Amino acid sequence: MRPFYYLTLLLLLFKLSISEEMEYRSNFFANILNTLSSVLFALLTLQVFFLQTDEIGGWTFEQVLVLLGVFNALDGVVEMVLRPNIGRIVQHIRKGTFDLILMKPVDSQFYLSFRHIVFWPITDVLLGFGLIGYAAVSMGIQVTVLNVALFLLMFGMGVLTLYAIWMILMTMSFWFVKVENLTFLFSSLFETARFPVQVYKGALRLLLTFVFPVAVLTTFPAAAFTGALTWRDALISLLVTAVLVTVARLFWKTALRYYTSASS
Amino acid sequence: MQNGIHVEHLSKHFKVHEREAGMGGAWRSLFRRQFRTVTAVDEISFHIEPGEIVGFLGPNGAGKTTTMKMLSGLLHPTSGELLVGGYKPFQQKAAFKKRITLVMGQKSQLIWDIPAMETFLVNQAIYEIPDAQFKETVGELIDLLELEPLLKKPVRNLSLGERMKCELAASLLHRPEIIFLDEPTIGLDVNMQETVRRFIKAYNERFNATVLLTSHYMADVTALCKRVIIINHGKILFDGDLAALVQNLAPYKVAKLTLSAPVEREHLQTYGEILHVEYPEVSVKLPRADVSGASAKILAELPVQDFTVEDPPMEDVIGLAFAGESA
Repeated sequence: MRPFYYLTLLLLLFKLSISEEMEYRSNFFANILNTLSSVLFALLTLQVFFLQTDEIGGWTFEQVLVLLGVFNALDGVVEMVLRPNIGRIVQHIRKGTFDLILMKPVDSQFYLSFRHIVFWPITDVLLGFGLIGYAAVSMGIQVTVLNVALFLLMFGMGVLTLYAIWMILMTMSFWFVKVENLTFLFSSLFETARFPVQVYKGALRLLLTFVFPVAVLTTFPAAAFTGALTWRDALISLLVTAVLVTVARLFWKTALRYYTSASS
Repeated sequence: MQNGIHVEHLSKHFKVHEREAGMGGAWRSLFRRQFRTVTAVDEISFHIEPGEIVGFLGPNGAGKTTTMKMLSGLLHPTSGELLVGGYKPFQQKAAFKKRITLVMGQKSQLIWDIPAMETFLVNQAIYEIPDAQFKETVGELIDLLELEPLLKKPVRNLSLGERMKCELAASLLHRPEIIFLDEPTIGLDVNMQETVRRFIKAYNERFNATVLLTSHYMADVTALCKRVIIINHGKILFDGDLAALVQNLAPYKVAKLTLSAPVEREHLQTYGEILHVEYPEVSVKLPRADVSGASAKILAELPVQDFTVEDPPMEDVIGLAFAGESA
């Protein structure tokens, strides 16, 4: 692995996507409107919840706001990087252009993951961080260097985990022609990340921690920011991320081997 | 065997899933899948020297594409030995990929909505081409292919031929020493075909690149390749000089004569098989072994105004090769 090479390439692909996107300026405004309305709606739902109770799953209103901010930022990442690329593997395989990508001296997983980046959902990410900031101010929590560092680490794990799950779905398109259905499944599961994992009980909570780890996606980063993260949870986060990223990579390699031995 | 292409006893088998038509077949195949092994490439061997341009010919489904894919590392061979530019292609090493390129006439790597130059820049980063070398190569390619007016237009606004020119440039930025061309002139008009051919020739001469070319246009082959490899049903039928191919496979030449007076068809037949009669034009097959004797006879005995002897058209010769193999 050569980090510098891939970082340069990522930057170039990002610039490329912007110049591709420039044609469609109206998307920018549509996206801001979309983001604002979905954030407002989520806030309203939260308000309704907190009319009945002071906490959900042991989390206060402001803490859940932080969580919502994390959720929104992650959602932005999905829209920027993951969703634009997922449908294209199938197209590449069908049109035969997948061969042209495999011929290039670049990691095909990297190239196919990041070739298309949509710029505008950056507003989701920014609004997410804004929400976190707002919650922090209204909670009056001390923003310490340790908190922020831990938050960034946990958020990074969340992004990686999200990527790994998405990559596993994407790789399935070697065998299934329509992965769009799987992305619907993903979206509905991802919705559960709007709430702290403590809301869910028993087996469901285990499922949402280890199998479809929404805990790693939003609960742990939010907890890190508010200072409620336990070392055990941090460890789980690192572990789950490592396992998922490895599985995603191995799965991709298997799919490639399948492709190079079976396709004609 | 540092450079060039070296292939020995190369085979590729595919397992094909078979099922009967209709609901019954679909149902049965759910539980018991029937597989059949298909041999796409069957123990082929050949060697291509650095700098050679070789035509790789065969009907659809003959095994051309499968072989090309194995040579470029996209397919894992079932058995046999394979060295391309000193590398085993299926290991897919980056160093190997930097020395080869694959251009497919029907598949494009260009980014659709933006000018081709952007694709070039992405390839520069991917292939890690130093700026100075990149500038030089792009300059050369712009000259050779007359790309200048095309580079600022979005790819989607280019004609098929213009796109092919940009495609070639994008594929050659890293100055590969081995080039696989899969029908590079397909769908192009005659002028553009000619341009592409001239370019391939020029690139080959300038960089001493090894070129393996498939095409359904015989003009491509006759213009570029001294040597051809003909493959059908996964086996090599012929490997050698284009000229020798014609001599071996077509044991006749075609005499075209313009008569100054009508001659009976029955009488013409005594000189050889008649291909075409439309007074005053006649074409007759003459046995290759006795072209001069037969020609002399025709000139002496018939009222001939004009007379030429030619090799049969390449298409016919290749057709004979395929027919001969299946017979």
